[in-house]
Amino acid sequence: MLKFTNTFRDGIGFDTVLVVMALGYLVVFSAYPLAYNLLMSFQSVDLFTLTSFDRPFVGLDNYREVLSRPETAMIFWNTVKFVGLSVLAQLCVGFALALFFQLDFPAATWLRGLFLAGWIMPALVVGAVWSWVLAGDFGVLNHMLRQIGVIRENIFWLSDPDVALYSVIIANIWLGVPFNMILLSVGLAGIPKDVYEAASMDGAGRVQQFFTITLPMMRAQLGAVISLGVIFTLQQFDLFAALTQGGPSNASNVFQYWSWQLAFQNYEIGLGSVVSVLMIGFVIAVAFIYVRSTRYEQES
Amino acid sequence: MLRKYGLLAIALGIVALYLFPLYWMYVTALKSGTEIFANPPTLWPHDPQIRIVEVWNRLRMDVYLRNSFLIAGGVTVIVAALGTGCAYVLARIRNRWMDAVLFAVLMMQVLPSSLMITPIFVAFNQMGLLDTPRLAVVLAQAAKVLPLYIVLVRASFLQVPRELEEAALVDGNSRIGAFISIIVPLARNGIMVSSVLIFLQSFGEYVYSRSLISERALQPATVGLQSFMGPNSSDWAGVMTYSAIYITPILIVFVLLQRKIVSGLTSGALK
Repeated sequence: MLKFTNTFRDGIGFDTVLVVMALGYLVVFSAYPLAYNLLMSFQSVDLFTLTSFDRPFVGLDNYREVLSRPETAMIFWNTVKFVGLSVLAQLCVGFALALFFQLDFPAATWLRGLFLAGWIMPALVVGAVWSWVLAGDFGVLNHMLRQIGVIRENIFWLSDPDVALYSVIIANIWLGVPFNMILLSVGLAGIPKDVYEAASMDGAGRVQQFFTITLPMMRAQLGAVISLGVIFTLQQFDLFAALTQGGPSNASNVFQYWSWQLAFQNYEIGLGSVVSVLMIGFVIAVAFIYVRSTRYEQES
Repeated sequence: MLRKYGLLAIALGIVALYLFPLYWMYVTALKSGTEIFANPPTLWPHDPQIRIVEVWNRLRMDVYLRNSFLIAGGVTVIVAALGTGCAYVLARIRNRWMDAVLFAVLMMQVLPSSLMITPIFVAFNQMGLLDTPRLAVVLAQAAKVLPLYIVLVRASFLQVPRELEEAALVDGNSRIGAFISIIVPLARNGIMVSSVLIFLQSFGEYVYSRSLISERALQPATVGLQSFMGPNSSDWAGVMTYSAIYITPILIVFVLLQRKIVSGLTSGALK
């Protein structure tokens, strides 16, 4: 007993206890639900079997059911569009802003920090504000677009099936730009100034410098920002809840929202688990690649 | 010189454009019922009205915000209590085991709440945790943000020089003594900023609360806002006033801590 207290006071026991406490918590509240999710995706789970520990196994039936639903293909392409366009636009706007705020003018750092105000707000409130900005008849965005002559008729951003998804994408870009910009700014600040000086003495123009110095030296940073962008975009739920609820008729639905709808609105919990298992698998694959590549960068 | 101020003007323009939705929220909250639907919209309220008290009372915001505070506070306490020690060990010891733990933590950081809620709901239901729904949300949300906290705080422990700890041990401190009286105070900036971030994130939590808390009196402010908006609400002044009351404290905390949050975030994200 004394030996045990001694290792805890002075030895490896202390470290072990600290790690095991946190890891134990994560095992109970993250890893266990993860495994349980996989199990449920092979079971028939509805309101009647919800509390039962002995549910009928149905093999791959849930998976077949999800894949054969008529809306699955549409929601799949919506998810691809949502992630692809959001990440691409966040990256381009974020990079442009990072480059701009890298220039030398008063209060540049402070002004750049103001962008994070968008990032720190609850996404549900951001959704509420955007649903007012995007409102069809009285929305300020429609008014501005009419003023500058881009549109003549109001766009019904949230109820028109052709644009509903893009409305959520616009709000999501707004939410994600600050994080991209800050991370890329850190990368830009890490490029030594004398590289640019040497290049301009050799007669390289601004554009040439961007493609031959900035882009190659930012490669690791860009990789990190893209993978984090994909991961964060797949976490986005609140904007859908506040803006379109996946509608009209799934026109703006994506897998992470559909999974919740299946389980909590249709009570088809087994099917919700299937969608969830597939998406979590994808997210973990992206995170795996990201972590492995940053490790590699660190060691080399 | 002229170029510098030209750039500053452009920068101000970009920031104004970006923050316009926030501005629009505040302006709408101040407009009268008819002015909100005026065409063309007015950029400045002609007849400002303060609805704070009315909206606060009508929508029972005291109840919602109290629940948000309880949930965010509970999450922050659990996360700080469990995460700080783990982050310290992960910063100090590098071997195969710790690499595996760090890898597991990083993987659990990316699990989306909206995909985890289905098994959490079923499991919590079987455990009987849904009888105390706020506690259920705290436990689930703590598991969601604990990895982020560990990653951020680990980065600030990495900056504490190892020699200070060794000197404390030579002076006869126990490991616990050195940890609490030397190491944690040296990393307190990182710990504080990370805790504030965790608190703010949990203050705006939505998915778990929406799915686990069915009783209105126990719901946090996000769920309250969502049910108030409804599908056909046209009370935009009310919605915007509610939003403004909800996020103004968040924005004030952010402005006060802006510099620290930015540096904490970047050091953690890039390890």
